[in-house]
Amino acid sequence: MNAVLQPKPNYIVCDGNEAAAWAVSLAQVDMVAVYPITPQSSLVEYLAKFIADGRLGAEIVDVEGEHSVLSVLQGATLAGARTYTASCGPGLAFMFEPYMRTPGMRLPMVMTIVTRDTLTPQSVWGGHQDAMSVREVGWIQIYCENLQEILDTTIMAYRIAEHHDVMLPVNVCHDGNYLSFATGRVELPDAAEVAAFLGQRDVNWHVALDPDRPMAVDPLTGGAGGPGPALFVRYRKGQCQGMQNSLAVIEEVHADWARRFGRHHAPLVEAYRMDDAELALVTLGSMTGAAKDAVDEARARGQKVGLAKVKTYRPFPAKKLAEILAPVKAVAVVDRSVSFGWNCGPLYQDTLAALQASNIPAMSCIGGLAGADITITHFARVIEACAELAEKRSPVDTLWLNEHD
Amino acid sequence: MSAYATIAFKPDRCNGCNECMSACAAVKGSAGQIDSRIQIVAANDSFELAMCRQCGDPKCVAVCPAAALAKNEGSGVISWDGGKCVNCLLCTVGCAYGGIVHNAAAGHVVKCDMCDAAVAGAPACVKACDQGALQFITSARIYNEVGDLEDLFVPGLSGCQGCNTELIMRHALRRVGPETVLATPPGCIPGMGAVGYNGLTGTKVPVFHPLLTNTASMLTGIKRHYKRQGREMTAMALAGDGGTSDVGFQSLSGAAERGEEILFICVDNEGYMNTGMQRSSCTPYGAWTSTTPVGERGQGKSQDAKNMPVLMMMHNCAYVATASTGFMEDLYAKLDHAIAASKHGFAYLHIYSPCTTGWRFPSQDNIEVARKAVETNFVMLWEFTPEAGLTLSRPLDQARPLTEYLKAQGKYRHLSAEQIVHIEASLAKNVAFIEKLAGPRKPATAQQAAVRA
Amino acid sequence: MNENRVDYLVAGASHAALSALAAIRMHDPAGSLAVLAREGHLPYSPTVLPYVVSGRSAPDRVALKPAEYFARNNIAFLAKHALQSIDACAKRVHFADGGTMAYGKLLLATGATPIIPPIPGLKEVKFHVLRTLDDAMALHAALPRTRAAVVLGAGLIGMHAAENLAKTGAAVTVVEMQPQVLPGYFDSEAAGIIASVFADNGVRLLLGHKVEKLANSAAGCTLTLADGSTLDADLLLVATGVAPVIDYLAGSGVATERGILVDTSMQSSVADIYAAGDVAQAQGFYDGRPLVGGILPDAVEQGRIAGMAMAGDPAAPAYPGSVPLNTYAFFGQQALSVGSQSAGEVVLQESSGREYLKIVMQDGRLTGIFGINRPFDAGIMWQLILRRTDLSAVREQFITEPQKTARQLMSKLWR
Repeated sequence: MNAVLQPKPNYIVCDGNEAAAWAVSLAQVDMVAVYPITPQSSLVEYLAKFIADGRLGAEIVDVEGEHSVLSVLQGATLAGARTYTASCGPGLAFMFEPYMRTPGMRLPMVMTIVTRDTLTPQSVWGGHQDAMSVREVGWIQIYCENLQEILDTTIMAYRIAEHHDVMLPVNVCHDGNYLSFATGRVELPDAAEVAAFLGQRDVNWHVALDPDRPMAVDPLTGGAGGPGPALFVRYRKGQCQGMQNSLAVIEEVHADWARRFGRHHAPLVEAYRMDDAELALVTLGSMTGAAKDAVDEARARGQKVGLAKVKTYRPFPAKKLAEILAPVKAVAVVDRSVSFGWNCGPLYQDTLAALQASNIPAMSCIGGLAGADITITHFARVIEACAELAEKRSPVDTLWLNEHD
Repeated sequence: MSAYATIAFKPDRCNGCNECMSACAAVKGSAGQIDSRIQIVAANDSFELAMCRQCGDPKCVAVCPAAALAKNEGSGVISWDGGKCVNCLLCTVGCAYGGIVHNAAAGHVVKCDMCDAAVAGAPACVKACDQGALQFITSARIYNEVGDLEDLFVPGLSGCQGCNTELIMRHALRRVGPETVLATPPGCIPGMGAVGYNGLTGTKVPVFHPLLTNTASMLTGIKRHYKRQGREMTAMALAGDGGTSDVGFQSLSGAAERGEEILFICVDNEGYMNTGMQRSSCTPYGAWTSTTPVGERGQGKSQDAKNMPVLMMMHNCAYVATASTGFMEDLYAKLDHAIAASKHGFAYLHIYSPCTTGWRFPSQDNIEVARKAVETNFVMLWEFTPEAGLTLSRPLDQARPLTEYLKAQGKYRHLSAEQIVHIEASLAKNVAFIEKLAGPRKPATAQQAAVRA
Repeated sequence: MNENRVDYLVAGASHAALSALAAIRMHDPAGSLAVLAREGHLPYSPTVLPYVVSGRSAPDRVALKPAEYFARNNIAFLAKHALQSIDACAKRVHFADGGTMAYGKLLLATGATPIIPPIPGLKEVKFHVLRTLDDAMALHAALPRTRAAVVLGAGLIGMHAAENLAKTGAAVTVVEMQPQVLPGYFDSEAAGIIASVFADNGVRLLLGHKVEKLANSAAGCTLTLADGSTLDADLLLVATGVAPVIDYLAGSGVATERGILVDTSMQSSVADIYAAGDVAQAQGFYDGRPLVGGILPDAVEQGRIAGMAMAGDPAAPAYPGSVPLNTYAFFGQQALSVGSQSAGEVVLQESSGREYLKIVMQDGRLTGIFGINRPFDAGIMWQLILRRTDLSAVREQFITEPQKTARQLMSKLWR
């Protein structure tokens, strides 16, 4: 551990995985379950060390695979514990069976996805394909842009998940390699203030495995006849409602975080230089830094370009994004993953859906697969293509950014 | 109300030697079998029995006008008081079993008094039977010991008629008690409503449906959190063999390796009986299942069963044992041992559970099939602790012919002679393996003696 | 328990009543329950009374249940409570002493009382009956000074009493209007064997004789028979049958013929009022016609069914119907009678000396079996009749070896 503790402000220099581990420590979770996988491994190593050193008073369960990681934590949550784990790529795929079940049980768990491209081709590098593959499972998905946002968001994720109007699991996504191993300065909030911010944990008031409150958890529901179908629909609809409720909760929690700790992160979508913009980029995660630089350079050249960074991806902040993009003439959406069925990026599809009431043309750009860089130059090409689209207003093919790198 | 020891009669084992009758007559001071209170009746194709059943609600007592007959609430024996009897013979009308009859030599009615078995150990007739046709069943003591404990499943679970699993569930949970969180992975156990339907519960303790794959892991999280809080409770699984040996094996193995404080009970009905009787790795060689059907080329499962309890023993769990509902006293003792072990480590109890629906035998034969499995060594009863190693609960050197077990089930109906040879050879190997693990014979414990009886 | 209301009220305290109490408590351990005994004694069986007369049974050892039984089962045992009337609308009974008690369910198991035949002069002479424990003790007390006893009626009570009187050394004469002893249970051939045993033991049987009148005499009374002959007796026992005790039912709306008419759950024509035992007139097994049975094992069965039905026990069976049953031990001999003499074809009738066996079957099923000194299990035979077990396959064997064959069937069929 390479933390250098200062009296105040409390800065450390660390990578993204360690920033996440610090956040977990500050959230005073009761249990972590771990199984290593690149590029997540150092994150769980930091946690193990924090626990071994007594910095974090949590139970650690070293299990035999990601499937059990989430299963152990589901059990613990049902018993009343605040929990944490992290995974990615094949690990997330192996975890999928319990993963899929978590939102339906309304378990307010927090898990980091240190995003990684999926097999195959074989790859251990960053990319959003793993997280995107589970985007419709019912977890809240929040993507971080930088190290400080990882730390702050991971803490906020507990308050979002455990909010009684939400009671849903949250994936805090940070980009494998780019954020997991990038090192920088991070300000640590005060532990007592974090404790006050999060409040009393109350994770199983609605569903518990507790001999003092016996109940059947997840009995068979549905089937024709009887109360089953209506009950099933009630659960499903409630789950969707919880997702929608979370939009307001996420905003409120970010606002409170800013009040208490002085750092404001755009909760749903960040608008960057969108005043008078005619072209807009839509980005997700760590690529946003380079994209903002490209926007700055274009602005310097006199191009009226702006950027919308989607932070909260599920539930999708369609209204917010549509508002931000409303004035522009064309939109270019940059994805680090693909939607195989549509030959484009998934964020692009979501953006199209958000823009369906407007007449704004949009295009899909795919880059950063398997750890490829998306540089300022790549974004300059994207801005160029976007300008062309604004002029021609005819559909264009998906732009594959690293095709010839 | 108490339960009582009883004399059981197995007509298929009776050879008509009538030694029981001689022994009874002798105890009653007569040389003639006609004076025996147990009467073996030779029929064309079997030997039948007339004797007092010591009924729970005895009609002979109800019809006696002289209060000469009474059911002893301590022993369960219906006693006859010669000082009160008026020789009216009405009791013989009340008895539908030929269990109380007028005896010319005595000049009054006579009936079985169980030889005051509490003193004698077993009645004279049972002691005289070397065929195992008469057995003295003492497992009623279990009911007396635990009968007042609350049944923690709701009434009316929808198991198949004659289901053994429901018996196991109710007994096990009653013993473990209410400070329990119960996991019932997909299978017959939740299938019969243990977790409930549509918002209603089937159990009086917290219960859940884990995935088929993650039972031991979810229990790990639950138990670890409560332990962290200093709360005593039992994390318990009632899982089928599929959720134990197949898709659930990884999480089980992980939890066992970590020594999680869990009570894991595998209810082994040798396949996926809830989903329509498909093969599992616990399905034995030759068995018909819906995915190892019998046809021109297929002749049932072509591989031997995975030896799940041995695998668990090799994890060096705090406790591993095999049990059968055909031997309830043994099962209860092991349940006690397993519960105790789960307070400090992983306890694994493998209960063989014949399935009337999937194994194709009449629903009333369940306990009989369970018993035959053990008596033929097809199922071996043993227990393991790291300290004592493997101990046999019942000797393996008095096995009855395996075909008695195979013939009791439709799932083996198609077996060829070669297949039976294969099963017998595999069994011999398994028996030799377990005997080797058990090592030289140790003196029998009281529990073993009870199982043997 | 509310003093004036109980959930279950059982009137009567013999076999049917006790059987009902047990059945009610089996299903409902908590409901309030009271049982009414006419007399001051703990429950006893009328069947034991001849043995009290003979001295074989001590009056203080015949109680069917100890007082402790009622306390343990939370049953109020109310002695010396006789029903006066029933208000079925208010669901309330009135006692002879003016008290009342309301009930949820009422079982009438009030038994039977001796019929006193309208023979001129009978009311003027001193005579005994034998239905209560007090009757039995009175008769027992009279034995030592009895020299010449006359028993009216050769039914079970009369025959038992005659035997006991003979054994004390008295000269005993039994006068019976029917031409045989024990009519209804045994045919004339079997009755003849029984009669001969009595004759051998010095009992004089005057069968087919009617008493025309009675008058007091110095020793006791003198009976004049229809043929003009006379008998002197220093002890007279009237045992000419019994009739159900239903006098309290006037105005209750409960339908009666000879006894209280009941359905197969033992419920009377009035909801929540049940009847069982000697007072009930339930359907016969063979033809379904309602009859008053007076059969002890049947009383037990009826009481059990009534109790289960009253308590709402879902396992309550339907009453299968009354089958005549009797066991009769006399002078060291055993006679058994199970079933109907007439509901079928006599497939075996044989006798030699004091042995007798008769088997009646219909459509390959047993309908009756009767024996003297020929052992068979009456309880198994009763079940074979009730279950209408098809004996076609073993018919010949059954006729040859009824006890063994029945035991084989029993062991296989209800093992």
